[in-house]
Amino acid sequence: MTVKIEVKEGGTPHNTIMWAGLLASLVCLYLGAGLNLAFNAYTFSFFGGLAAVCAIVWGSNTIKTLCSYGIGTGVPSTGYTSFGAGVIAMLLASRVSWYLAPIVLVIVAAIIGLILGYLANNVIMMKIPVLIKSTVELVMVGALVLMGLALMTTSSYSLLSMVSTQTSLLGLPVAGHAGSFIGIAIIAVAFILGMIAVQHPFNATLGPSWQQDRMLMLAAEVGFLTMIPVAFMSIAYLSPLAVIVSIVVSVGGWFYTYNQFLCLSKRDAAAWLDAKPIREPEGH
Amino acid sequence: MTVTPKPTGGVGMDPVANALSIILMIAIIGAAWILFGWNTLVFKALVAVILGGALVGFGVHFVPVGGAPAAMGQAPGIATGVAMLAAGAGLAGLFGGAFAVPLGLLTSVVAGGIGGALMMAITCLFVTLIYTYGMGIPSASGKVKVDPITGDTQAEYKSQGTEGHGLPFSSFAGGVIGGFLGGFGGTLIYYALLQVYEAKLPTLLSASASAVAPVAVSLAGIFAIGMFLVNAVLAAYNITGTTEGFHDPKFARFPRAIFASLAASAVCGIVAILVAAL
Repeated sequence: MTVKIEVKEGGTPHNTIMWAGLLASLVCLYLGAGLNLAFNAYTFSFFGGLAAVCAIVWGSNTIKTLCSYGIGTGVPSTGYTSFGAGVIAMLLASRVSWYLAPIVLVIVAAIIGLILGYLANNVIMMKIPVLIKSTVELVMVGALVLMGLALMTTSSYSLLSMVSTQTSLLGLPVAGHAGSFIGIAIIAVAFILGMIAVQHPFNATLGPSWQQDRMLMLAAEVGFLTMIPVAFMSIAYLSPLAVIVSIVVSVGGWFYTYNQFLCLSKRDAAAWLDAKPIREPEGH
Repeated sequence: MTVTPKPTGGVGMDPVANALSIILMIAIIGAAWILFGWNTLVFKALVAVILGGALVGFGVHFVPVGGAPAAMGQAPGIATGVAMLAAGAGLAGLFGGAFAVPLGLLTSVVAGGIGGALMMAITCLFVTLIYTYGMGIPSASGKVKVDPITGDTQAEYKSQGTEGHGLPFSSFAGGVIGGFLGGFGGTLIYYALLQVYEAKLPTLLSASASAVAPVAVSLAGIFAIGMFLVNAVLAAYNITGTTEGFHDPKFARFPRAIFASLAASAVCGIVAILVAAL
């Protein structure tokens, strides 16, 4: 029998990242939706993107925790589960009022994740100690990322705002469905963007000399990178000011995190360069 | 320092867990019966979604998956992960089936199946071309002595120290069957959900049926993709890594994946239906 032997030293414990990611993501969702409603504006939609970034950072660490057991199906498959079940939880939660939706989302995602985790662990007999907990977390992450991206695109995460769009015909506001977030399937783009973003950080940094801070910084970088196309898609739904704010936040955040990631990569690369090559003794 | 056993993919079945998964499925079907009645669109859609999910979970077991070893010519199969291949074939099938929805259920699901099978056939063909003429390796199975379909012997062509390489004929045929089942099941899920949304969304959004048609199509599509991925990943967990297709000993594990797929599709299906039917 092969065993997984792992020495844990330094780094942030997973539970800390989990609670921080969950709380930060929920706070960002409430801030975005609440401030948009309070000021009757679109300007605070970018908080949705920040919620997605927080969830992606948390999700990447969950994937690291799960995949260090070697699940045999590749890291991307965890992202698939995350978003495949997450989109279902997110759309059910979007039916309720804005202040209940994120809580309902977390509860529904937890139930679906618990059942899927139990099926994978006990029926399929994966027998991985962290599988159930990780699946619960991953479904929550998927749902939170999608809800955040929906908020960023349409200024709200209610189903009604996701399926309808206000267009002006000869100066009169007309409600349409065809061009909406769901009607034109922008949700599919958000789905794929988020799915890649959540599984990429660990997939790209795994292996020898894996460093947690480097992976988390890459996760934040990918999260901000995900925000940029979403900000451009929101041109169709938001006021010009809101779009400009979104683009500035996402490009600025991406630039900063990418720089930091580059620094961390250089740090770890320098550590590798310092290793001396194996010298061959002379005179044999 | 933590020492934990690595997953071995598991053998045998856990009767308690299987019974629980079946009880969960029956409970959800029963709840739908009590809430909506048995002769309603919602109930029929739920049953179709569960059936489609089980077909997807079963179909994934046919797909020859080689993973990284196959890319190095050390294991037979297509050189990528289970979930990737299943998603590729299933989504290709789903697109094909979705275009055929106006022609009715049977045409639609068969079109979806053919779409998935075609995708897998094209993938297998080009994989074989690259293996044979690009990498210069013959197709040989490591799991069986004789190809179950053509009857060709395999051992002479298999390099020592490998588990076989290339794409044996049975794996090719298995891939096409798996693509068909995946596309068939995925389109069945899509079709069932589309009927529910087309019926329920006009009252929910107080708009005409033609106005909400794009929303219904998009919702059904994204849910079908989501449920497809969930079932494909569960089946991928069951295979743990590489498989050669239906002649691989790992194929015998498929009952577990069907139990899991039935319960998972029931849970995801009822939630997806409740989005519009609540």
